[in-house]
Amino acid sequence: MNMTLSQQDGATVVTLAGEVDLSHSPTLRKALMELMFEKKPVVVVDLSAVEYIDSSGVAGLVEAYQSARKNATRFVLAAVSDPVRRVLQLARLDKVFAMADTVESALKG
Amino acid sequence: MIRGADQTAAASHLDLMIEMTGDFAQSQDVEATLRLGLARVAERLGAEAASLFLLEADSGDLVCHASIGPTEVIGLRLAPGRGIVWRTVDLDSPQLVKDARFDPDFANSVDNATGFVTRSILCAPMSFRGQKLGAIELFNKAGGGAFTQADAQLLRALAMSSALALINTRLAAGMAEQEGFRRELALASEIQRAMLPPPQPPGYPVHGLNLPARGVSGDFYEIVPLADGRIAFAIGDVSGKGINASLLMTKTASLFRCLAKREDGPGRVLAAIDSELQETGLAGMFVTMVAGILDPATGRVVLANAGHEPPLVRGQDGYRPIEDGMPPLGIDPELFAHGCLESVIELDGGALYLFTDGLTEVRTRSGAMLGADGAKGLLDAFAAMPAEERLQAVVGALDGVGSLRDDVTLMVVEDMRPGGRSAFVRRYDARPETLSDIRSDLSRTARELGCDADLVGDVVLAVDEACQNVIRHAYKGGEGDIVLHVEREDDLLVIRLMDFAPPVEVANIKPRSLDEIRPGGLGTHLMRSIMDQVDFLPPPAGIGNLLQMVKRIRP
Repeated sequence: MNMTLSQQDGATVVTLAGEVDLSHSPTLRKALMELMFEKKPVVVVDLSAVEYIDSSGVAGLVEAYQSARKNATRFVLAAVSDPVRRVLQLARLDKVFAMADTVESALKG
Repeated sequence: MIRGADQTAAASHLDLMIEMTGDFAQSQDVEATLRLGLARVAERLGAEAASLFLLEADSGDLVCHASIGPTEVIGLRLAPGRGIVWRTVDLDSPQLVKDARFDPDFANSVDNATGFVTRSILCAPMSFRGQKLGAIELFNKAGGGAFTQADAQLLRALAMSSALALINTRLAAGMAEQEGFRRELALASEIQRAMLPPPQPPGYPVHGLNLPARGVSGDFYEIVPLADGRIAFAIGDVSGKGINASLLMTKTASLFRCLAKREDGPGRVLAAIDSELQETGLAGMFVTMVAGILDPATGRVVLANAGHEPPLVRGQDGYRPIEDGMPPLGIDPELFAHGCLESVIELDGGALYLFTDGLTEVRTRSGAMLGADGAKGLLDAFAAMPAEERLQAVVGALDGVGSLRDDVTLMVVEDMRPGGRSAFVRRYDARPETLSDIRSDLSRTARELGCDADLVGDVVLAVDEACQNVIRHAYKGGEGDIVLHVEREDDLLVIRLMDFAPPVEVANIKPRSLDEIRPGGLGTHLMRSIMDQVDFLPPPAGIGNLLQMVKRIRP
């Protein structure tokens, strides 16, 4: 898994790539929870280059989603790749997260 | 022995001989019996004093064991040389000395020391068929006269009878000692048998059986479960018979039990045992032995053979001997100095048989040896039975086949995996870092078995989730292994995951309720959503967990 954080138009964009499995999901969870702790107004997770995600990676996204709701942070999953979409479908979470087709559309809100 | 008129004299004293023989037969205390016998003889022949001397084996001296009369000479030691007693023993005939003063061999040192005055002496050898035991010496016929020829013949007969009784008593003592030794041997044999592994539970992949021909055995087998779920086993035979062989066998078996848990692989175990045995002088003895490790999760056996009969693999196409091997253990330290050859055998749903030559060298009624072919026939005859009963049936049938001359030891190592054959089997460290290897191995295998890309993706996710459960919940983050099997049965993709952690409480594993959005608990739901069947099966090795997941492959 590769993870980069960047600021775009007042939003924090977390770009993930590669495989988000049990060996990497703690890193993802820690990064997302720090952003939530800092009460960032907008957090966009770019999932376009994620080839694989498992339940532990999804759990990190769910935990961030729950914090964001409390903090009134806008938390968006952008450009969700097919493998991620499939897992979210199986977990019946595809209707729970706010999702955008691209990072740009996510930033526009 | 005694003829003519003397026979009458001897016969008249027959009662005395019978009494003395009876004394010896009943008595546990030879010395006391000798004293009693001497007193009876002295009384019957009217002697004022008497001494009984026995030859001492170590020193060659004559030593006084019993004495009657006014002087006490027990313990008196006569080195070989002159003297009436030695003359009697040397000539092996009675010596009648009517007046001691005129006999050049008479030593008057005792008289001088005690004040006893020796007048006449009668001395007869205690001997039987040339075996010299000592002599009985009588002093001074009561009433003042000298001993007579008749007295001499009688004493000769009584002394001979005492010698015979003494020989019998000594033989009996020797036999009692032997009997004690036999009891010790029986005890040793019992202890040795108790040291063999206990019977394994039904369904366990390794079983052994030892049938000792008699007494202590030079055969052994061992079954040692390892911490990672694999099972170490060994069978061996010590050259020679008897106590020495059985002690060496006990030592070798103990070394195996200890080293199997420490050394990595059976070749290293055998090399380490060889090195230990070299340090003890074996005096020409040696050990033939096969050591192996079964991974019950993969059906793979690693085997090392030190001079033992080749084990037989029973596969689909019959028996195949595993011929690779090294010389026996304990021959020369150089032989194992550079390691020990190992063979890897995939049981592939079959079984591995190991045995000592006691099995193949059983003589059949025709006189020929049973041989490997005969052994195969017996094994096949009982193939349908569970392993332990099968071994017992084979050994039981040997009694019918022929006579058991040697110990028979027989082991079976079986692939007890459900399904047996697998398209793919691999063992992994149960760590998050190995999950990507598991995913890529499974992706490749599932594609090869005819799954399309979507199905591959789903199945990989389900298996990854199951592995995570093993890492996080079964091993709780500690060290351990995961074994992955993948196979295709008709249109079903069957995946089995095995771990060696304490059994999980299946009832506690539930998919979470999806109405509740929260992290965690999702993995089991994913597995059950993707796979058509998810079941915990009884694990083959009797420890750990076996999870089977089945998915129908779309045509």
